[in-house]
Amino acid sequence: MREINYLQGIREGLHYVLEHDPTTLLFGQDVGAFGGAFKLTEGLQEAFGIERVFDTPICESAMLGCAIGMATQGMRPIVEMQFSDFITTALHQLLNNAGTRHYRTGNAVPMVIRAPSGGGSGGGPFHSEELEAFFCHMPGVKVVYPAFPSDARGLMLSAVADPNPVVYMENKTIYRAVKERVSDPFEPLPIGKARVCHEGMDAVVIAYGAMVHEALRAAGELQASDGYEVMVLDLRSLKPYDLDTILSAVSATGRALVVSEGWRTCGFAAEICAAITESAFHLLDAPVRRLTAPDTPVPFSTTLEARYRPNATTIADAVRQLIEF
Amino acid sequence: MWTLETVQKVAAVDPAVWRAILRLMVLARKVDEQIIKLCHQGRIHGSSFTGIGQEAISTAAAIASQPQDLFGPCIRNLALHLGRGETPLGIMRQVLARSEGATGGRDGNIHHGRLENGVYAMISHLGAMISVVAGGVMAKRRQGIQSVGVAFVGDGTTSTGDFHEALNFAAVFDIPILVIIENNHYAYSTPTTGQYRCRRLIDRAVGYGIDGISADGNNAAEMYVTVSEIMEDIRVNPRPVLLEAETMRMRGHGEHDNFKYVPEELLLLYRRRDPINLSVRAMASAKLMNAEEFAALETEIEAEVAAAARQALSEQEPAADTLLRGVYADA
Repeated sequence: MREINYLQGIREGLHYVLEHDPTTLLFGQDVGAFGGAFKLTEGLQEAFGIERVFDTPICESAMLGCAIGMATQGMRPIVEMQFSDFITTALHQLLNNAGTRHYRTGNAVPMVIRAPSGGGSGGGPFHSEELEAFFCHMPGVKVVYPAFPSDARGLMLSAVADPNPVVYMENKTIYRAVKERVSDPFEPLPIGKARVCHEGMDAVVIAYGAMVHEALRAAGELQASDGYEVMVLDLRSLKPYDLDTILSAVSATGRALVVSEGWRTCGFAAEICAAITESAFHLLDAPVRRLTAPDTPVPFSTTLEARYRPNATTIADAVRQLIEF
Repeated sequence: MWTLETVQKVAAVDPAVWRAILRLMVLARKVDEQIIKLCHQGRIHGSSFTGIGQEAISTAAAIASQPQDLFGPCIRNLALHLGRGETPLGIMRQVLARSEGATGGRDGNIHHGRLENGVYAMISHLGAMISVVAGGVMAKRRQGIQSVGVAFVGDGTTSTGDFHEALNFAAVFDIPILVIIENNHYAYSTPTTGQYRCRRLIDRAVGYGIDGISADGNNAAEMYVTVSEIMEDIRVNPRPVLLEAETMRMRGHGEHDNFKYVPEELLLLYRRRDPINLSVRAMASAKLMNAEEFAALETEIEAEVAAAARQALSEQEPAADTLLRGVYADA
């Protein structure tokens, strides 16, 4: 066992697929010799050469178009969006070109888009966005969002092996903050499997990405201050999401809070709330609640951004209200 | 443009190639005419989009290509599909949304292509396919295959960000891709004067550090000589090239469009410059084909196309309960 952080987990996943699958390629802006804006891809070009790990001009649409072209000719490209916010200039390539292709033509498009997401570190409106709702809305696209280093490694293997376009969301705020003791070697983690990462019977907090860690802190706080035992469910995959495990958690607790740092209206949390209400209304002891970012641009200042993002305190408050309903 | 050198090169084209060019153009024309007929008979769901008047451009690229080459056709490239192996029956099935067509009724009219023919199915977002073809060629080159890409765009596409991103991308990576601008004077109803201010669209090539070449898009022989020279050159000296082929869209944007905004004189001018008629005349004067032989060719192709339409009309659209199938490839 050795300890690695979340960023290293992603890097080890990338290293593994580049080493074991000669059809894989990694490209994006500044990912080569420079090692990426977050130094996540450091050493990969050195290890696998400039033909397989390379820098591109600033052209998100051409990058995704190129990946589609490669993916349909026997390669497995991995494209880094330097910040997930920038994919908005290329959404048509994902929604219309990659996402529709198998349905229309029967041709598989195995490609991975790495999307460094989320706020909390002063990125402001254009370097902090959490766009999973956009991605999950697209037919033909899969979305994963690991919260732990081990899951980051395992999901990278599965995302790259999947014959469909997969958006691999990764949270920038926890790149170095979240650490875990991991064992080697590691296995692919199947897409679509959630994990209970904290047991509890009084309520369940359903989260993903950085919010899993806020939820875990909230669970600890609730245990210490109120004696509540709160389950935390880490979704890990957003499309497809693990409805069976969600419903088991709701069945066990009767009270569910869905947490997302994405926007509220039509956000991913709304989808989970709707799914629970549709399938498990009879199991609920309180209305399903969601805690999300408000419908504002991501603000810059520490005061505004702290208010903007859900955190352990606001999650704990929401859980108390849910339990005391 | 016609120079003595071009004339000599055209004269040197193998008669068998000449005949193949003419046959493919006539085939595309007849299939398009059949589509128009079906559309106006109300047998096609939605509108129909044809390439009448622009057949020489796609034909030249298809005939000049090698099996390992990749293509990104756009709206008016029926001849490309047919020249790369799609059949008239396949086209009829596609436009009639039959389950046996290239997209099995999942997509209509022009949004099809078969990877086994090296042809990518387009999307409607103009310019988006240039980088796809570029990426496909990059992949093939990494696999040691001497592939060349050809992406077709219209004059309107050149205004998009995707056009710029993809050409710059291809230039930076020296990707062997020929981007053919079919300048047919109108993007839907917008004339070129409302689309750009440069004198010629190939002037933009300078900005990408690549070569820009003009050709007469209605002259099949000139197109063939030009395209085959570029394709063979970039096959061994990989780099993108921009080619502007001047032509004219002889119908509306689609069959729903009466194209009253196009001056009659312009259509008249291009009716005299019909690519098929020009080729037939050139071949007649070179004693490669006489009027009777051409009439026989037309009759033969008309029969083939009519049979394809009859066959496709007798088939079914996909069953409604297949709606949910195939959104994802099976892992």
